[in-house]
Amino acid sequence: MKFTKNVSPDDRKMLNSIFWRSFTVFASRAGATKAHAPGFMYSILPAIDRYYKNDPKGQTEALERETTWYNITQNVGTFVMGLVASMEKKNSQDPDFDANSIVALKTSLMGPLSGIGDSIFWGVLRVIAAGIGISLASQGSVLGPILFLVIYNVPSILTRYYLTYIGFTLGDTFIEDMYESGSMKLLNKAASTLGLMMIGSMTATMVTFKSTLAIPIAGGKPIEIQTYLDQLWQGLVPLAVTLGCYWLLSKKVNVNWILLGVLALAIVLGLVGIV
Amino acid sequence: MLKTAILAALCVFICFGGNWLWGQTMIERPLVVGLVTGLVFGDVREGVMMGAALGAVDIGGALSAEPVTATVLATTFSIILNVNTKAALALAVPIGVFAAFISMFLKNIVMNVFAPLVDKVAATNNQKGLVRLHFGMWFLNYFLFSLVTFFSVLAGAKPVQQLVNEIPKNLMAGLSATGGLLPAVGFAILMRMLWSKQLSPYYFLGFILAAYMKLPSVAVAAVGIIIVVIQWMRDKQLMALENNQKELAAGEVKNHIDNQNNESEQEEEDFFS
Repeated sequence: MKFTKNVSPDDRKMLNSIFWRSFTVFASRAGATKAHAPGFMYSILPAIDRYYKNDPKGQTEALERETTWYNITQNVGTFVMGLVASMEKKNSQDPDFDANSIVALKTSLMGPLSGIGDSIFWGVLRVIAAGIGISLASQGSVLGPILFLVIYNVPSILTRYYLTYIGFTLGDTFIEDMYESGSMKLLNKAASTLGLMMIGSMTATMVTFKSTLAIPIAGGKPIEIQTYLDQLWQGLVPLAVTLGCYWLLSKKVNVNWILLGVLALAIVLGLVGIV
Repeated sequence: MLKTAILAALCVFICFGGNWLWGQTMIERPLVVGLVTGLVFGDVREGVMMGAALGAVDIGGALSAEPVTATVLATTFSIILNVNTKAALALAVPIGVFAAFISMFLKNIVMNVFAPLVDKVAATNNQKGLVRLHFGMWFLNYFLFSLVTFFSVLAGAKPVQQLVNEIPKNLMAGLSATGGLLPAVGFAILMRMLWSKQLSPYYFLGFILAAYMKLPSVAVAAVGIIIVVIQWMRDKQLMALENNQKELAAGEVKNHIDNQNNESEQEEEDFFS
């Protein structure tokens, strides 16, 4: 394939290493606030080590950038890993590079890539594979589960492999072009815009709250608090909690206290019967 | 029963843990879990058929139970206790529902304990520590999780179900709510890195598109890309305009002379042609 051919042997070595490491990206899950950040950091280490070879400070900064919330359908996420590798390369070469754009681009890609990845691989491929597998397995045939695994995994692993290379090559050429035309500032702005929009939509879909509190009325339907909350503003509580956390963070409150606060809030709400 | 309990827990650990340790290869689906459990307990046919039965429920998304635990328990009960498929499912699925809660609780809440450590290994560039942390978290999470199966088989399905019923409902609800609210902290950290006053309206736009319009993330991204393209073209124009103005201001006199020269050259060319 075109994308895998124009890659130097050193790049190839690094990308293959990222590809193999990416299989373990979801092994750990550091709670709901970081999700799979450790796996992403582990997968991208070959790039960090290579581009900041004799620069411990650069390595530290790169690692710290990647400690943020990460979650992409894993066999599609390698695209972002390749892309991030190419951006870290640029960042290590050019002191004027705005490293924030790495996080911005990564964040803006998470939602849509997961959307596409989940629907193709889980919605379509896995359902087809399971359909074939179940029909064989219900007759007691061992071939059922085996065929299920083969049908699902062969396309998944191929996608994972090629996307690692495509992400890197695309990033490498694309970012080079941006740089030469002096549009890097615009790219950063674009990625931040898109990133913020995606965080907004993730706030709406992934931060969830549902009150079960209902005030009974004699001879009538009980008043359900959640309906009123929804009428007032859809997703009011998730938005308020997210903005509250943001506000506390910008006031330099330690993130662990914020975590404990949210934890305590939810448990108290549960104990008094609001959720 | 101790040996059976250990073996069943091992099945959960291999299928569930293995699936997430390496590539999410779907060895956690009932179809495969049934085969593995069947192999372990020496009745492949029963295992595969149990997997197919649960797989059919699971594919419709109707299974609120955690599929690995449910399948392992159902298969174990049906082979060891020698009950029929339906009875085994009736015993296993309620524990599976409880296991789904435990899984969520471990991954979203308990594992938060390690979040500060992730920041710490990054801040000190401790790469060996990162690797240990990454795989240590994996082991701890799935080891703790397989204990649910271990005790369910050891104590028997009935007492475990009773125990689950006795957990205060309010406490469970509160803990579930935690899992829903905690991602807020993660998103707030991301916002810290991208937020600026000029761009903040886009955060709310994304929220409204998803909360009110119920747009899937791909559609939100598409709207975002349109906005970004428009913004980009306008910014480009602005940049060009600014550059023009700068040139004008800096080289007004020079331009004037240049223009005159151009004009005279033009005349000459006209003359010679």
